[in-house]
Amino acid sequence: MAKSNAKGKRKKDQKKIINNKRIKEKFTEMLELPKELVLDRPKLTMIGKNDMMIENYKAVLEYGSGRMRVNTGAGIVRISGDGLAIREITSEDIIISGTIHSLEFIDAG
Amino acid sequence: MKLLLFRLWNYLRGYVIIIVEGFFIEKFINICARRNIHLWDIRMQRERLVTMRTTIKGFKLIRPVARKSGCKVRLLKKTGLPFIFNRYRRRKAFFAGAVLFIILLNLLASFVWSIEISGNNELQTEFIEKALDRHGIRTGAFKYRIDTDSAVDKMMMEIGKLAWISIELRGTKVKVEVRERRDPPQIVPKHIPCDIIAQKDGIITRVIVKEGIEAVSEGDTVKKGQVLISGSIPVKGSEQSKLVHAMGTVSARTWYEEEVPVELTRTERIRTGRVIKDSSLILFSWKLNIFSSKNRFRDYAVEESRKKLSIGENLVLPFEWVTVSYYEEKVVEANINEEDAKKKAAEEACSKALERVPEGAYVADKTVRFIQEGDALTARVTLECIEDIGMSRRIGGN
Repeated sequence: MAKSNAKGKRKKDQKKIINNKRIKEKFTEMLELPKELVLDRPKLTMIGKNDMMIENYKAVLEYGSGRMRVNTGAGIVRISGDGLAIREITSEDIIISGTIHSLEFIDAG
Repeated sequence: MKLLLFRLWNYLRGYVIIIVEGFFIEKFINICARRNIHLWDIRMQRERLVTMRTTIKGFKLIRPVARKSGCKVRLLKKTGLPFIFNRYRRRKAFFAGAVLFIILLNLLASFVWSIEISGNNELQTEFIEKALDRHGIRTGAFKYRIDTDSAVDKMMMEIGKLAWISIELRGTKVKVEVRERRDPPQIVPKHIPCDIIAQKDGIITRVIVKEGIEAVSEGDTVKKGQVLISGSIPVKGSEQSKLVHAMGTVSARTWYEEEVPVELTRTERIRTGRVIKDSSLILFSWKLNIFSSKNRFRDYAVEESRKKLSIGENLVLPFEWVTVSYYEEKVVEANINEEDAKKKAAEEACSKALERVPEGAYVADKTVRFIQEGDALTARVTLECIEDIGMSRRIGGN
């Protein structure tokens, strides 16, 4: 009885969090606020296939000249290409240059 | 553009290129990013070996990061202005020179090195320069001690011919602009009695009197200063006469004569192409001859060109480069046809005479004569004019 109660509570909490998230998203959509700021979403900007900027990233998971993985609020971004270099990195933005072949989102959260 | 600015900024601030070697390079990058250590141009050279750039400040903070992430950091290269300065820090003479240069430039820029006077026609430039000198505006004067406003006021008071003057300090140059006053004609006020006298010699052709008594009549020959219309009217039965302000027009026949010798030979100077150039440098006011060679031409023309060293238009420095060129010349004599020579001389004399004819005069006749005197032949042009020769003059006084 007690066990099931605890389980139910956790479920409720999870539901609450999801509900909160949805309300937040609805609000930002309604008010047309920039999503990358309010919802912790990354903003990816690409110029051709050689330059790419990820704003609001979380961490660099892997760095190599052929493959990179960057953790963001929308999951892990995997970039594969040739001669990838990090042209600039600050605590919020990362600018990647090189020849980008593909870009994938690997869902991790 | 942005990138260029970025690079320039980085160069000015100075940066280092480092090599990071280890298994957890990502961790190293992440920690650096979180600790606000600016990194850029991260390139993988080989497996587990990365080069990157960071600021000098960032490099000082990098040791603990390296230890934490288990990476080895090596310095590859230092680039930028601070390192260059550092290298030259020991060279005291170099820095002293740089400082001295700036001080000297500033010092030299605080003096007046050239004065530019414009707008003067009748006033001599030297005269204005002298007047400026009296009020402290001269080449070599300390710029900040010049009071242009008071100089303007004083010069306006002193020089009656000035209608307007502006003195402007621009860099090391003083720009003086003047406008000259045209003297108003001397008019005797209406209520003051006056005579009308002759301005010049002539034969009277017509006298129109509006006020006063005519003292001359048509056909009379008058001399300069002679009374034409008298302002003192004798009163019958009285010693004294009534004084009036004489008015009227007196036209007279006047002559203007000019002589020009007829030149049958014309000398022409032709440059042979041989040149001697002398150059000298003027520092402040003493002259330094640099290339001085003896002028050995018999007939020559001299041309002088001066170049003042200046930064921009207004910052003139007290260095002047003077080049004096001597051009060798050959004198060639050519004979001219007598008719042409006569014509030319007559035309010249005529234009010279016309220059003297005042405005408002009417040229009635022109005669050209050639006078032979020994070997010399001269052209004489006489212009006969009709003009108003009257001028008012106060009675009793000027």
